[in-house]
Amino acid sequence: MNPIGVEPYIVLSMVLFLLGALGVLMRRNAILVFMSVELMLNSANLALVAFAREWGQVNGHVFVFFVMTVAAAEVAVGLALIVNIFRERQSINIDDLQQMQG
Amino acid sequence: MEWLFLTVSFVAVLAAAMMLTRQNAVHSALFLIVNFGCVAFLYLMLDAPFLAMVQVTVYTGAIMVLFLFVIMLLGAETTTDSSGRMRWLGLAGSGVAILLLLIFAFPIASDMLAEEKPAPLDARAQLRVINAIPAGDAEEFTVMEMGFAMPLAGSVSANVALDAVDATMPDSRIDGVAYNDAREAIRGYTALDAGEYTVIVGVDDGSYVSGPIFTKDLVLSPDSAVSLVVYENEQGLVDVTVLTDDISAPAVGKMRLTLFNAVTDRQVSLVDVGQYTARRSLCDDSSCNSLIPHRKLIEQLPAGGRASLELEEGSYNLAFVDQNQNVLRTLAEYQADRGRIETRVLVREPGVPGSQASYRAAVFSAIGVPAFGSPESVGQVLFIEYLLPVMLVGMLLLVALIGVIVLARPDALAQAERRRINRRRRVNRPLVSVISQQTGADVLSGDYRAKLTGGPDNGADQ
Repeated sequence: MNPIGVEPYIVLSMVLFLLGALGVLMRRNAILVFMSVELMLNSANLALVAFAREWGQVNGHVFVFFVMTVAAAEVAVGLALIVNIFRERQSINIDDLQQMQG
Repeated sequence: MEWLFLTVSFVAVLAAAMMLTRQNAVHSALFLIVNFGCVAFLYLMLDAPFLAMVQVTVYTGAIMVLFLFVIMLLGAETTTDSSGRMRWLGLAGSGVAILLLLIFAFPIASDMLAEEKPAPLDARAQLRVINAIPAGDAEEFTVMEMGFAMPLAGSVSANVALDAVDATMPDSRIDGVAYNDAREAIRGYTALDAGEYTVIVGVDDGSYVSGPIFTKDLVLSPDSAVSLVVYENEQGLVDVTVLTDDISAPAVGKMRLTLFNAVTDRQVSLVDVGQYTARRSLCDDSSCNSLIPHRKLIEQLPAGGRASLELEEGSYNLAFVDQNQNVLRTLAEYQADRGRIETRVLVREPGVPGSQASYRAAVFSAIGVPAFGSPESVGQVLFIEYLLPVMLVGMLLLVALIGVIVLARPDALAQAERRRINRRRRVNRPLVSVISQQTGADVLSGDYRAKLTGGPDNGADQ
């Protein structure tokens, strides 16, 4: 039914991961950086699911489940932080957040 | 299928790229939702329907709604990427990213084109071996050891070993082929690539190895489940029969019971005897003119025969009866659970010669593995093998919940700021102002200052 092997999925996952990494590096908007992190997590999940199918093991799915849970927690806390930062500084440009430097 | 994958992955990459380049954060979030939807579709193509649904509900649903909510709450739709002083970082990052892509993706892609693909998961079959040879007789056989061997339980140390050799490649021997112990609890099926096999069965008493006693050609078709039953046929010889098991789900509210007769000299019927559980025979009297009330479920199964039926959920008193109406074995208060698939193999127990033979209905309830990626299979692994991590993740979610509540208190920041300012003021305030605050008098104005310090104004007053 499914003649596609694991490799195309891994390549796609790699492309998506690199796009996410690029987003983290290039965008200065904290929310967009966050969304890029989500993109990277998703591409890792895709690789896990592809390998799970390749090996016929459900453990990969279980790890994806954990990743999703942790991502949900991370998004909730991260967005709350962003809201607070925005309240304090009226900006979510991550270049402005330098008070922890040095 | 390829074009479907290519289309979906193209849309996914395109959506990700659009997400990165949009200036409006709301547009970015919407493109990210498209990307997540594509990934959910790919999960479906990868036989992970449960994860696909979780992806849609958790990611494209909950998480992205949270993002959109925050973007719109902050009014941060068009926050531009100002400054430009870190622009070189982005350029360097894209350079490194493209380099990595070339380094890693090219070998994979070239492998993909060059090598022939391994059999995908769907083209797998499941195989198990049921040893239904009476243990007392198995001692007579010589021994062979090929692949796995599993001792029979009890006093007899004879093994039935099984090995499967790929018929197309005689030199390659496949390890890990299923075996099963007739006497005791069951190992499930072992997954194998679909294809043609030659199965070699031998008997092993643990001390030496002999040649094969039985060879059988076997074709495993995709998505099938096969039981190899090793039993003693009517001539008293070891025989192997190949049974294709029906592992599809039974009808709603029913269980499927399969009976295999491995008793050499009997035809076996399965009957529901109702309240008459203690009878040694179905006959009502010694001349057997009439029978006790019963309900026939499976009739007259010859040695080596197999029959299935579906039982309504409930409790039964089952009996295995031979052609002379003798009860060989009773299963009193047999619980039929809905959805269960069970194979019962009727075997003769090893006994003292001359004494009355006893029989046993060995249970092989292993029903193969649940469909790959189904909620059932994920749940089994999640809540059995990974119970502790599940607990820890639950704890993490609780902590995150409390943390968000603390962070999101409307005046959390303001209160903290006020507290900080107050603390500083208290430390820096001069003593006199504290006195003025407590007495209600303005100590710092002229008169009082003069009194307190005992300056020249003092004398002038007097």
